[in-house]
Amino acid sequence: MTWVEFPYVAFSAMACWGGGSLLDVFSGRQRALKVPGILLMLVGTAIMVSFLVVFWAGLDRPPLRTLGETRLWYATLIPVVGFLVEYRWKVGWLKYYCVMLASFFLVINLLYPDVYDRSLMPALQSVWFVPHVVVYLVGYVLLAASSAAAWHNIYRNIRSTATSDEALSHYLALLGFVFLTFGLVFGALWAKEAWGHYWTWDPKETWALIAWLIYLGYMHANSAKVNKKWLQWYLALAFLVLLVSWFGVNYLPSAQNSVHSYQPG
Amino acid sequence: MDKKEVNEAGVSWSFRKGFLFSVVLVATGFVVEVAGGAKGVAVPGWPLNGVILVLFAANIVIAALILRDNRFVAWLGGIPLGLCLIITLAVLSFFGGVLPQEPGTGPLWAQKLRLDGVFASWPFALTVFFFLVNMGLSLVWKTVPFKAANLQFVLFHAGFWIALSCGVVGAADLQRVIIPLYEGRSTARGYNSLSNNMVDLPFTLYLQDFEMQEYEPQLALYDSGKDRLEIDESGSTRGITEGMRVAWSGLEVLVEKYLPHAMRDGDGNPVPVDATAGVPYALLSGTADGKFFSGWVSTGSPFEKPAIIQAGNGLLVLVPGSPKKYRSEVTIRSGKGDKGQSEVLEVNKPVSVNGWKLYQMGYDEKSGRWSQLSLVEGVKDPWLPAVYLGFFMIMAGNAIFFWKGIKKM
Repeated sequence: MTWVEFPYVAFSAMACWGGGSLLDVFSGRQRALKVPGILLMLVGTAIMVSFLVVFWAGLDRPPLRTLGETRLWYATLIPVVGFLVEYRWKVGWLKYYCVMLASFFLVINLLYPDVYDRSLMPALQSVWFVPHVVVYLVGYVLLAASSAAAWHNIYRNIRSTATSDEALSHYLALLGFVFLTFGLVFGALWAKEAWGHYWTWDPKETWALIAWLIYLGYMHANSAKVNKKWLQWYLALAFLVLLVSWFGVNYLPSAQNSVHSYQPG
Repeated sequence: MDKKEVNEAGVSWSFRKGFLFSVVLVATGFVVEVAGGAKGVAVPGWPLNGVILVLFAANIVIAALILRDNRFVAWLGGIPLGLCLIITLAVLSFFGGVLPQEPGTGPLWAQKLRLDGVFASWPFALTVFFFLVNMGLSLVWKTVPFKAANLQFVLFHAGFWIALSCGVVGAADLQRVIIPLYEGRSTARGYNSLSNNMVDLPFTLYLQDFEMQEYEPQLALYDSGKDRLEIDESGSTRGITEGMRVAWSGLEVLVEKYLPHAMRDGDGNPVPVDATAGVPYALLSGTADGKFFSGWVSTGSPFEKPAIIQAGNGLLVLVPGSPKKYRSEVTIRSGKGDKGQSEVLEVNKPVSVNGWKLYQMGYDEKSGRWSQLSLVEGVKDPWLPAVYLGFFMIMAGNAIFFWKGIKKM
């Protein structure tokens, strides 16, 4: 399977997630709908996982190079976080945000199709390639979920009908920050092997640092006991910085000479 | 001072003071840049940078231990100021992340403030300085007296402190030179690409062979009207293979034969030859706007024109594949009596010699795999072990942080 078959895969996955979410929402009144709803959502994710496996097998290299490929991983993994959170803490609403975010990334891939390219330039042929990118992916996934949880808390605080759950957004941010830190240090160690220096202020590095500093700021604001309601806004908006560092950098004036631009064409 | 003892009014006072302090710090930095002609900060080299760093660290430790109860010092090493400085660093980095970072480029106002080289500017340097002061003070307070519960804090912050400070002052001793190597020749000199100075190296490099592998070439349609290469309808840029069918609107092509290394014989027909001499050839047939055509395409080389086929309004061309691997076989001699040692330099696989690390950097891109020139980069960074010590401490602290976070969840 390649990008040619991708639209069918994307639409099927989104249909499963959407249908599953609807069933799950109505399961409040009709308990019998709970299990089919969850199963349908899991099928959506299973479709994405199978596509990734077959796609990888046909590619001869890990599908982690282009932004379109990383969006595939993202769309696959972020609903998994939603399911795990429900399984572990019985928090059911997070998965709706997660499948919405995942669908958003699939739609981007549908609107801007990626080019099918097997080649992997020498700079990326390294033992660091997979750990560096995977650690970042997991970090981004957790922080996206943290942002979704924070938006949910903001909504609850405004409605002030239900109590908000700051612990969830906090722990997701904490774990996400740990992965960002590993990603940054792995990147530095790799850069030394590939480009001769661990830090060269490449635009992608700079933005990764900005995103890291923003979440480092959150950790300190939390330690300083800053008002939890403000911190939900902080976490909700911090994710936007992460989005810039992830795929906004290519469009910035500073990126003309970036060594991180692995997009074809 | 225990955080819990600080009442809310005290915290907000600390934040306000921290915010104001950061603004003044950055403003001062910008004033220095504008007044001084935006020259940025220059860090002195060894041994002065080492002495400065030791004195700096010693002052922090002494101040932290003696003036622990002083209100100002407590604020200087507190979280509110730390948070303000972190955000200040993020904001300054934001300018560095948006504006091109090559001194002399970008809008004039940005050049005057040295926003075209933020990371070597006074505002950034001053912020980093106080960031290190802040982190250093809190680090001493968490380390003396030491508690096992503080291990994660100490590892993370000490690692960050060491990596940041040694990275900053060590930048003055970092040497990066480009060493052009020609096949069959040796050299013991490189040049600094920033200053264009020649640098004598403590070793000699002899290039035995430069070798390159490419990915399979790709078939593309050149649209002369739009002056661009069109990839086929399925949006794939697959390497060419025999039996492959490719389609553009109004054009269908079949790859009948593919020869990865070939040369034309006396009659002009491509025949397979040795890998070093040949270029990729492909025999194509197909229909363009209903009319049949057939013929050979090739990538060409510096010694041979590429073969192309006119098809409809466009030209079918064979685009050389992107580089897959390139490597230099070199002999390294350190000292006169040394017989030399054979090493292979490859991207992502540097080789160490006499305190230098050698990297495969590039080649003559016009000649591609026929390049006789290999560009090798030599890097000497005496502060690297200290920075790496910092990195590994950060990772150790990070691992504990992860473990604690998971356990609490």
